[in-house]
Amino acid sequence: MISKGKALEILEKGLKYSDADQIELLLLEEDFYLTRFAENIIHQNMGRADHTVMARAVLGKKLGVAVTNKIDEDGIKKVVKDAIEIAKNQKDDPDFVLLPKSGPAPEVKGFYNNTHNFSPDDRAKGVKIAVDKSQKNDLISAGAFQTETDVTAVVNSLGTRQYFQETKANFSLTVSKDEQSGWAQGFSREVKDINTDKLSQIAVEKALSSRNPVELPPGEYTVILEEAAVASFLLFLAFLGFGGKTFSEGRSFMKIGEKITGDNITIIEDPYDPVMKSMPFDYEGVTKKKVVLIENGIGKGVVYNSYYANKNKTESTGHALQPNNTFGPYPKNMLISPGNSTLDEMIASTDKGILITHFWYINYMNPMKAQVTGTTRDGTFLIENGKIKSAVKNMRIGQSILEAFSNVELMTKERKLCPQYGVLMYVPAMKINKFNFIGG
Amino acid sequence: MINFKKASEIALNSAKSKGASYADIRIVNTEDENISVENGASKLLEKNNSFGFGIRVIADGAWGFASSSDLNENNLKKTADLAVKIARASAKLKKNDLVLALLSKTKDSYRNPVQIDPFTIPLKEKLDYLLALDQLLRKTDGITSASAFMDFRKESRFFSSSEGSQIEQMLIQSGAGIEATAMKSRREMGKRSYPDSNGQYECKGYELINELNLEENCEKIAQQAKALLSAKDCPSGIKALVLDGAQLSLQIHESIGHPLELDRVLGAEKNFSGTSFATLDKLNKLKYASDVINVVTDPTYPGGLGSFGYDDEGVKAERKDLIQDGLLVGYLTSRETASLVKTSSNGSMRAEGWGNIPIIRMTNTILIPGNYSFEDLISEVDDGIYMETVSSWSIDDNRENFQMGCQIGWEIKNGKLGEMIKNPTYSGNTVEFWNSCDGICSEKYFKVWGTPNCGKGQPGQNARTGQGASPARFRNVKVGS
Repeated sequence: MISKGKALEILEKGLKYSDADQIELLLLEEDFYLTRFAENIIHQNMGRADHTVMARAVLGKKLGVAVTNKIDEDGIKKVVKDAIEIAKNQKDDPDFVLLPKSGPAPEVKGFYNNTHNFSPDDRAKGVKIAVDKSQKNDLISAGAFQTETDVTAVVNSLGTRQYFQETKANFSLTVSKDEQSGWAQGFSREVKDINTDKLSQIAVEKALSSRNPVELPPGEYTVILEEAAVASFLLFLAFLGFGGKTFSEGRSFMKIGEKITGDNITIIEDPYDPVMKSMPFDYEGVTKKKVVLIENGIGKGVVYNSYYANKNKTESTGHALQPNNTFGPYPKNMLISPGNSTLDEMIASTDKGILITHFWYINYMNPMKAQVTGTTRDGTFLIENGKIKSAVKNMRIGQSILEAFSNVELMTKERKLCPQYGVLMYVPAMKINKFNFIGG
Repeated sequence: MINFKKASEIALNSAKSKGASYADIRIVNTEDENISVENGASKLLEKNNSFGFGIRVIADGAWGFASSSDLNENNLKKTADLAVKIARASAKLKKNDLVLALLSKTKDSYRNPVQIDPFTIPLKEKLDYLLALDQLLRKTDGITSASAFMDFRKESRFFSSSEGSQIEQMLIQSGAGIEATAMKSRREMGKRSYPDSNGQYECKGYELINELNLEENCEKIAQQAKALLSAKDCPSGIKALVLDGAQLSLQIHESIGHPLELDRVLGAEKNFSGTSFATLDKLNKLKYASDVINVVTDPTYPGGLGSFGYDDEGVKAERKDLIQDGLLVGYLTSRETASLVKTSSNGSMRAEGWGNIPIIRMTNTILIPGNYSFEDLISEVDDGIYMETVSSWSIDDNRENFQMGCQIGWEIKNGKLGEMIKNPTYSGNTVEFWNSCDGICSEKYFKVWGTPNCGKGQPGQNARTGQGASPARFRNVKVGS
């Protein structure tokens, strides 16, 4: 793993090679390991070591981006030269003002040796627990055990200097047989906190409970979404409307000061919440800010990078993606405020409803209304008279997320950290009324 | 830099000396150039270069893979050792020793045919062209957002295995597209893209940009985006459905290509991408589709985005049947999965770049054209909808139940195209849907559509695939909500 001193030394050398008006250099290093298993055996098992440098050169209002994974002196010289050459060929972007300048971000501890040093044998031991438990119950397990160490460093010619190292451990599994299926996932910065035995037990129990699933007709139901399902909805809201680009282009459902969801929904982007242990700056080196997105159902704010902040005459909130990304700023550490219920209480309070473990292949049907489709997966259950009555065959949803978040009756006090597509979300389970299914 | 042949000798010898019974190395250099403009300004001008190697081994009868971006003698040995160590960890949870389908050793090289190397065209020329397209799109009153992009890739791949194969390949791919959006009152949006929502990608050089005729389509899609704001909603009901080639390409990709990946069929993707209803017991028995449907996997198809000379196990590209007269007759295979079904691999193992394990991916999945003209296809519909251009899609993890949305549609009444429809959607069951196909347009309408962003595997790997399609007609399909 590259140290702070070495990373900044490499990047600062790059600054010296530049005769552009301004220049920014971003270094990304990964040490990535993944053990996949299926049919109760390890079938894919890998390691990858890579480092990438991205240079963004500015000539007046012209920007050029070059990327390389060659980080010796020649590589850095070339990537800087390429970025400048590209900028020379560029056209002015009238909305570009300056690269951002940022002081050092607060210290956040995101790196843990127990994850960094986790070996292929250690991962195999974790997988064996899942496999043994599944086999004992005449079930088949499939899953992935991932550990990684990442370094991000950013410098620019305005004096910004940032460095962060982090570890991630992620274990997920699907336990199944014929129509039975159960799923569980755990994420932590510290692999020692991943309880593969407990997660395997949850998946096994769900699989055992999902024998002989019944088919339910499409229509409106009360549902209880477990945390991973809630996180999928939250992720899509972020995708559709919490970024400064979609907002400023009028493509977002967000309206500041107006009612967006039910009164009981508060969504905050907060990389500093103790559960997150996330990078405290963005990919252009700006220190991240906590941003209230929705408070008690009212639209409060969206996240910005420096470009869209300038365009909207506001300040960057520190949510830039990498400079070769045109998607615009994006929240990566979202929390939904908890309720005061428990999963058992929510089930007990339901006369008729459906308990959903997680969703698959959520995609929008009407982005302006945050209306999405997708299917339930790996543990869908019918609740009757306050008890789980039977398993249910997977169903297809057709639902506006905003309407769903307007019909939340109860939320759990306990929340769970859910990683999905590079975004960390800390969310409760939810009981939602009038939830629409469009097919089996 | 160390010579690739020398590098491969070091890596393969090192792996063998540590106990690997099989090893291969891929050394890959990928150069990308991405240019995009939005609303009169250039939003991205980027060159991206990624270089590295991946070593795959079998030790103690199980797979291990390790990769690195630093190609030097010490690191080759270290990475080979790590791959063996990882394989030994895999072996702790195995049932049987891995067996690979036999493959004769090959020494060869391959380059896809290219008329104009896109990397020789000055950036300024490309940017000027895109800005001109953007201006053309915004000439139509009411267009609130316009964009245009180009994307070029040059990838060199060196493959060497302990079985004696040594293959060098160079692939050049190009892509481009335009998009216009009209907004009304922050609630209504009309969006049109051309040639598809991802543009169009092919294994070609800059000649593709000329072939796409983007400028000739700017006014048309801008007018359509604007017209969508006042178009009628998609009616609901059971109707005849005609799909354009672009949407049919996605339908082939999601409901034929993915379900026929043999690793998925055998459960390898159960925890993420899912499984397949097209299980092995259905081979040569399942009437997957109607008699008019014939589908092949063909990585040799000229210009197809999924074309190559050899896959990432060193298996030569070849055309193979997947569906014949509607009957399921084949799968996409690797050497490992082929050995399980006692056949040879059809060359479908592909990895993204150098740092990922090859997994089974689509190449070019081609629906053989029929005999219809588009006019005749429409003329035989009393009550239906014609839909164009991918907008949104979702399919269950067993690849049976799907919901698709297109950018634009038109009613078909009494054999003629009628009123425009916004947000058209349809849904169905894979086997029922393909069995309802009763007409496919001819070769004249055929194109291999490029998908530049097919996701699969953990960690997620991006693959570039092609789907050959011409417009087709389906009966009794559920349309609308």
